[in-house]
Amino acid sequence: MAGPKSTTSSASSNAVRSLLRAYNENTSSRLKFIDAFLLFLMLSGIIQFVYCILVTNFPFNAFLAGFGSCVGQFVLTASLRSQVNPVNRAEFKDVSPERAFADFALGSIVLHFFVYNFLG
Amino acid sequence: MLSLWPLLAALVSLSISSYAKSSTGDSVLVVLDPSLQRDNFSIFFKGLEANGYDLTFRAPKDVQPAVIQDDHAEFSHVILFAPEAKSPCYSQDITPQSLVTLLEKGTNLLVALSTKQTPLTSLAAEFSLILPPAGTPLVSHFPERDTPSTVVPVNVSVNPVVPSSLPPVWFSGTPFAFGNNPLLVPILNASPESFAADSDRDSGADAVYDAAEKGGEGFWAGSSLGLVAGFQTLGGARATWVGGIELFSDEYAEKTIGGIKSGNEPFAADVASWTFQESNVLRIESVAHHRVNETLPRETYTINDHVTFSAQVSKYNPETSAWEPYSGISDLQLEFTMLDPHIRTSLIPVPGEPGKYSVTFRVPDRHGVFKFVLDYKRKGWNFLESTTVVPVVPPRHDEYPRFLSPAWPYYAGAISTSIGFLVFSALWLTGDNQEQKKSKSAKSE
Repeated sequence: MAGPKSTTSSASSNAVRSLLRAYNENTSSRLKFIDAFLLFLMLSGIIQFVYCILVTNFPFNAFLAGFGSCVGQFVLTASLRSQVNPVNRAEFKDVSPERAFADFALGSIVLHFFVYNFLG
Repeated sequence: MLSLWPLLAALVSLSISSYAKSSTGDSVLVVLDPSLQRDNFSIFFKGLEANGYDLTFRAPKDVQPAVIQDDHAEFSHVILFAPEAKSPCYSQDITPQSLVTLLEKGTNLLVALSTKQTPLTSLAAEFSLILPPAGTPLVSHFPERDTPSTVVPVNVSVNPVVPSSLPPVWFSGTPFAFGNNPLLVPILNASPESFAADSDRDSGADAVYDAAEKGGEGFWAGSSLGLVAGFQTLGGARATWVGGIELFSDEYAEKTIGGIKSGNEPFAADVASWTFQESNVLRIESVAHHRVNETLPRETYTINDHVTFSAQVSKYNPETSAWEPYSGISDLQLEFTMLDPHIRTSLIPVPGEPGKYSVTFRVPDRHGVFKFVLDYKRKGWNFLESTTVVPVVPPRHDEYPRFLSPAWPYYAGAISTSIGFLVFSALWLTGDNQEQKKSKSAKSE
């Protein structure tokens, strides 16, 4: 019983390790920076969701605004990542990285406008 | 010195007559049957005149003065002392219908009944008084006394109409049972051992008992029988029905019961004072409502507001003929109603402020058109009714509470996302330049 389990775990740990190594080696620092921001947004959203479930959802508009800002920012940042990723250059021929960032910034500003209006 | 006494007496009577008055007016029409001598009731009538009433006497058959002239009630109060007059003995303007019209116009009635069948008997049934068959007076063989068994001493129990305990009163006449009408105010009930019978001979007792057994007319007996009853109409007028006119007579007033003077005179005065709206008359002077910590009423209230409602109640004081603040009501209630009472709470007298009743409550979490309803109906008192309509609205968009402590994680999340966005943008832009430089340097290399 223990044999296969340990092999799968070692295999999966191998897979994770090789994934991390590949990520570290093949990802540019700019994409890693975006990923760090994405991770932060995801954690922030998870914390708010857990707080909403475990403690209170009372000002529900505040929860929607806080959680929605995380989700919205995540979506915008993820689309920025896909547009500036050199691997996807073929798909976004017309979109330069500067244009992608400008879209991202404008979308974020509109998002935050709505979030603060809704936060109460 | 002796010559001064009449002058003094006149002064005293003047001062008395300028005092006590009814809250609705002083003019009294006494419809007195010619067969009854006015002098037989002099103590009662003199007492009324001393209280400041202006008595006008008239026989039932007289045409003048009219009770209702040009659709206007000419008198504030009407005393109907014609218990045995049949309908042909009345003039056109005194009919059961016109008496009811009088009550609708706010005129008070004091009506004496008798054991005879008259139009008043059928009118009494309209007031939920169920009279026994004609010719059955109240009979009691107790206590042992030298009067006929139809002349009965009755103990007076204290009730809102008779505020202080009085000696027993002499009564002779017809009793009645009470129907199921909440507007009736029993004033005097028969003694427990008395009953109604068509014969005062003991040989008739079996017939009475048999009738009760057969269930036909029922058994008219016991302390649930009424002898004097008031009726408070919804319009505020009062009608008092008395089973026998002798209750008011001088003979009974001066007659003794077991060596003590009978209570007929003060009892008749109490009954007249209640009937003519001297006693137990309340009114609401004003009502006010406002939010807690404010003084002026709001056009609308918001759900969950804390609102204070207060009412100013006065009682008529016949001795000064003035309305005085009255804090003696202990069971006043306020309802906050939208179809159903959403809140029913007691209105408590405010200590230190006579006549003021106040309560503070939280408006329910429900918006709509609400009413402050004050509805005080108690036997023996006139009715207090007040309704104030106020809309209750949900909070405006800027009236919701803000910066709630349980929401701080959400605020922190939104703010940190914004800060993160700014920091990210700043680093991205600076990093972008560096990379461009790097790439340029790489190209140059």
